[in-house]
Amino acid sequence: MIAENTQIQMRKGILEYCILSIISRGEIYASDIISELKKAQLLVVEGTLYPLLTRLKNNGLLSYNWKESTSGPPRKYYQITDEGRQVLEQLDVTWRELVFAVETSLEGRN
Amino acid sequence: MNKTIIININSIVFHIEEDAYETLRSYMIEIKKHFGNTSESKEILEDIENRIAEMFSERIETGRKEVINLEDVQQVITQMGRVSDFEESEESAGESYQQSEKEEQPTDTHFGKKLMRDPDDKILGGVCSGLAHYFAMDPRWIRILLVLFVLIGGSGFLVYAVLWIVMPEATTRADKMAMRGEAPNLQNFKRSFDEEAKGFSDSLSGAGEQISRGARKAGTVLGGCLGLIGKLIAWLMLINTGLSILGLFIFYVFNLMNLFGLENPMFFPPLEVLTNDEALIALTFGFLAIIIPFLALFFLLVRILFKTDKMNNYAALTMFAVWIVSVIGVIYYCVYAAQDFREESKINVQKNISKQEVYYFTEKDVRILDANEKDSLKSKFNIQFDGQDFRKYLHGNIGIQFESLDSLAQPYIQYNYSAKGRTYNLAAERAGNILYEAVQEGNTILFPSHFILKNNPLERDQSVRSIVFLPVGSKVVLHREIEHKLRDISYYDCWVNYPDNHQQKYTEWVMTKTGLVCTKQAPVEKEQEENVEEVKATKEEIKQDSVIRIDGSNLTIEVKDKKVEINTKED
Repeated sequence: MIAENTQIQMRKGILEYCILSIISRGEIYASDIISELKKAQLLVVEGTLYPLLTRLKNNGLLSYNWKESTSGPPRKYYQITDEGRQVLEQLDVTWRELVFAVETSLEGRN
Repeated sequence: MNKTIIININSIVFHIEEDAYETLRSYMIEIKKHFGNTSESKEILEDIENRIAEMFSERIETGRKEVINLEDVQQVITQMGRVSDFEESEESAGESYQQSEKEEQPTDTHFGKKLMRDPDDKILGGVCSGLAHYFAMDPRWIRILLVLFVLIGGSGFLVYAVLWIVMPEATTRADKMAMRGEAPNLQNFKRSFDEEAKGFSDSLSGAGEQISRGARKAGTVLGGCLGLIGKLIAWLMLINTGLSILGLFIFYVFNLMNLFGLENPMFFPPLEVLTNDEALIALTFGFLAIIIPFLALFFLLVRILFKTDKMNNYAALTMFAVWIVSVIGVIYYCVYAAQDFREESKINVQKNISKQEVYYFTEKDVRILDANEKDSLKSKFNIQFDGQDFRKYLHGNIGIQFESLDSLAQPYIQYNYSAKGRTYNLAAERAGNILYEAVQEGNTILFPSHFILKNNPLERDQSVRSIVFLPVGSKVVLHREIEHKLRDISYYDCWVNYPDNHQQKYTEWVMTKTGLVCTKQAPVEKEQEENVEEVKATKEEIKQDSVIRIDGSNLTIEVKDKKVEINTKED
């Protein structure tokens, strides 16, 4: 039980980072983000993704534009903004620090 | 074969099966509730809806079908994730609540909740769902409670109306939070608690799943029990309402038949006040005015029990409008009818009767037609009767009184005909249309049992008072049949004086200055008998002025103070 809670907390921490990174590669829409995350073995349901994307957009880290699609309604294609890139860089730094911290703590364990 | 519903998601049309629709709808409501009502959440919802639409479109294309079925919906829901699967960072929760804090400070009341109406979940005005939020219950039970209150004495209507006026509508997000009792600081706490719980149910490990499943099952069983009781109440009310509707319908149909001439035992006396056409309209209005609330109740119960859709808005509005019109119609007819009773008119007619030694008064039942009687009252009045309307033409509001006259005067009967009407003239006309007269055959005077109305036989409180003026000293015999029409005197009081009075068919009276007096003395009681004997005794004492005593052979005669003794013994 307690392990799960921490696991969830850990996931939450990195989810945004991963999503920002994926979007930074290039214009992409929600459904494809899910697929990419799946490839990365990071399983997320769409209902989690949409609020997150909207929030990032509202904070100015993402922007989107509409594209018509043949199969169904028009789609939102997200891109990372300049501010978003800045944040991403900052997160990169934090991530490396964290990785270092974790690996150092793990040293000496069996 | 299944019923198909047409929906549109963000203006894209889909055909979807009924059960699939229900599932989808619940899911959408769940999500809406979860995300609340900020501008941000609107965007999120739009995205989700678009995605769902896209997924549906894909399925239709690949499956080469035309309709979304339950399986499709379930798969889509799994892919989108249930609300419990949504992972949200605490930041986002904090952010959105900072927004609403600026909007309004929810004041602390009971549990920090505000009693407000919920516009997102309303059948009529959202009163019940608002109450449900306040008491943390499912709105269904509050609704059933309300229906109960409506049935028992109708207090539910009043309570609901008052609550509707008093409770403000929860329009802004802050209102809705306040309605649900979500204060910002509490919410964060709740959120983290929720997340823990979500983590609990979200677990991939087998043990976690087992435990959560068990907990869920226990919850549903308990909910089921309460649900069962609630359902039972709802079912009872449904049957009750249904029967009432049926009963009202039968009543209406039978009265309708009455109006069209098909006689039957079920009739509604107040309707006789109106003409046939008026009665028809009034009856219809009355019927509608009563049955529409019952119908509305019925539909409400069906909706609660079977979770069917809300009644089409237009249908509901039409029903409401018709009801209002009916109520107004009923009120109009009541007032209209009452108007026709405003003025009263009395007409007096005097008819002499021939002087007799003894007058016998009895009643003739007009309804009994004697084929042998050529001179029957019916023909005397020369009225044509339709077979069925006979009853309408006969009225029984008749009273008979007796007044005294000087002993040499001519006896007569004074008839007072009275009726009511909208104007005095109308009332007088109606009074004039009353046909009623006693018939004298020798020393017997026959009073008809009913009076007849000429022309317009509307019920307008017509009545007849016959006052018989007799000279003082006249002897009167009242027949038992006339008993009920007598006023001012008690037939019964006279009748009890007769011995063996079960056989007694008439009573005897005499006219005095003060009115008719029963000639039969009350039977003497024992005390009275003793008095009578005492009286007799004293009489004898007085007579003892002259005494004759025979004592053996002595004979004494005393007259006053003088005595004579005769001794018959022979010396």
